[in-house]
Amino acid sequence: MIEAINLRRTYQTTTGVVRRKRLDVEAVRGISFSVDQGELFGLLGPNGAGKTTTIKMLITLLLPTSGQARVLGHDVVDDAREVRKRIGYVFGGDRGLYERLSAYDNLRYFAELYGVSGHRQRQRIDEVLELVGLKGREKERVEGYSRGMRQRLHIARGILHDPEVVFLDEPTIGVDPVGARDLRQMIADLITVGKTVLLTTHYMFEADALCDRIAVIAKGEIVGQGTPAELKGNVAGGRVTEIEVFGVDEATVVRLRGVGGVSAVTVEEQDQKQLLIVQTTGERELTQPLLAELDGVEVGRVASREPTLEDAYVALVTAE
Amino acid sequence: MKSLRVFFLGGLISYRALFSWMTPSIFFLILVVQPVFQILLFAFIGRAANLRSDEFYVVGNAMQYAAVPCLFAMTQTIAGERYQQTLGYILISPAGRLPLFLGRALPVILNGFFTAAFSLLVGGLILGVTFPTSVFAPLAVVVLVSSLSCTGLGLINAGLGLRIRETSVLSNLLVGILLIFCGANVPVASLPDWMARISSWLPLTHAIEAARAVAHGNSITNVQGLLGRELGVGVIYAVAGLAIIRFFETQSRRHASLGIA
Repeated sequence: MIEAINLRRTYQTTTGVVRRKRLDVEAVRGISFSVDQGELFGLLGPNGAGKTTTIKMLITLLLPTSGQARVLGHDVVDDAREVRKRIGYVFGGDRGLYERLSAYDNLRYFAELYGVSGHRQRQRIDEVLELVGLKGREKERVEGYSRGMRQRLHIARGILHDPEVVFLDEPTIGVDPVGARDLRQMIADLITVGKTVLLTTHYMFEADALCDRIAVIAKGEIVGQGTPAELKGNVAGGRVTEIEVFGVDEATVVRLRGVGGVSAVTVEEQDQKQLLIVQTTGERELTQPLLAELDGVEVGRVASREPTLEDAYVALVTAE
Repeated sequence: MKSLRVFFLGGLISYRALFSWMTPSIFFLILVVQPVFQILLFAFIGRAANLRSDEFYVVGNAMQYAAVPCLFAMTQTIAGERYQQTLGYILISPAGRLPLFLGRALPVILNGFFTAAFSLLVGGLILGVTFPTSVFAPLAVVVLVSSLSCTGLGLINAGLGLRIRETSVLSNLLVGILLIFCGANVPVASLPDWMARISSWLPLTHAIEAARAVAHGNSITNVQGLLGRELGVGVIYAVAGLAIIRFFETQSRRHASLGIA
């Protein structure tokens, strides 16, 4: 359904005012993946990793610098119009809607642009409003909508013309936990009605709960690919030890990384304390050697747990 | 059929989407009160300097003021989408670009027509300039053609909006150029040669001349040459505008020049 083959995208940017200097920025560096019919495929990666650029190429908004991409067998460069007819796309955030129009009129306009026939429009708009839970609120102007409602409307617009493939770029960003949970259910429902979905997100639990397969992108390259279970198993392997500390310095973190059996150490700032997340390989218990390296540092709670997708993700994107 | 729907219904909905901030009171102030001020200013200057009749200034300025909605509103049909971050959604839709953007021009043309017609009426009433009822219909045709050609120029500015953000500055500049060059207040014959040559390639110039002729009792057939040239100028600008939109849309895909979503 979706196929990316060695896809690359380079941006040109300039610096300086008088002596302008042109720079090439490689946003996507030859990524390849494929998404099967009815699959929910996740693209994970930090900010600036190339997720949105990849989506923009797949939805025909950007031309690849090199490589190939096909959606439903249509080339995204040579056959852009055919691709556009068959895909839906949802960008996260609360912009991108006509604020002064009602939700109904927003949908009506895009129904016209996507060639949904006049007699089918009303029925289809009612269907998608029902699906995203905005039925009864459709006559209100969008400017009065909450962020969650706007995001639902984005999704309604994305599936209005009944596309086979839906691209969702961080659809739950900035939405409150309850609203985000509803949106995740909505995304899961898309698969049950036969859609193929490509999702980008920063939220690991979201990817873990929703995605059949995941590709992790870092610095424009795919650094890991597989089912959530495979990623967790392949990367972390052993266990994760979490240690609360107060005022740890960089030198100590470097020493911790040098402890035998430690594969990665990340520091999470939490108000006045830090949380050290230490990933270890193998089954060996490393709590004592780790605490020995923290001599002189005030230590709080220490816990050991199974690796999560987030651990796998952190290990992948921080690996040199 | 789908293209017709995009042209008519799409054009209308998008106009509502982009211009519903314009409440009746704002609309009245910008597109009815302001042109009357302009008419009065130039008419009183004309009277004080003993230059031309009030009718000359009423017709010239009422017609010229149609440039404001035609240029600004047409430009806003793309700049406004960019501001609201809806442009990406429009450009990724499979809708044909011709009905999509020309459909947006239709309400703009009607807006320009209304502004010019109302300014003629109110400006004339205030200054005591009366037009025989027999000239109403031909005058309406001339006003419509001028709005159309002016919107053609607006389409070029709209197209530039796919590449640059400062299209409002350009619109202001164009309105100023039209005020000087198109014969609204200074007859084209009195302009320096180089300016007069430019005038003939600008919208409004031929329409203002035709409107003055019609106001003096000439029939529409007497001014058909002028109207033909006015329409021709408008069509050239509209075609150029669509070509610019096409070019910059392709460029935006190639160079990522649009910050979309």
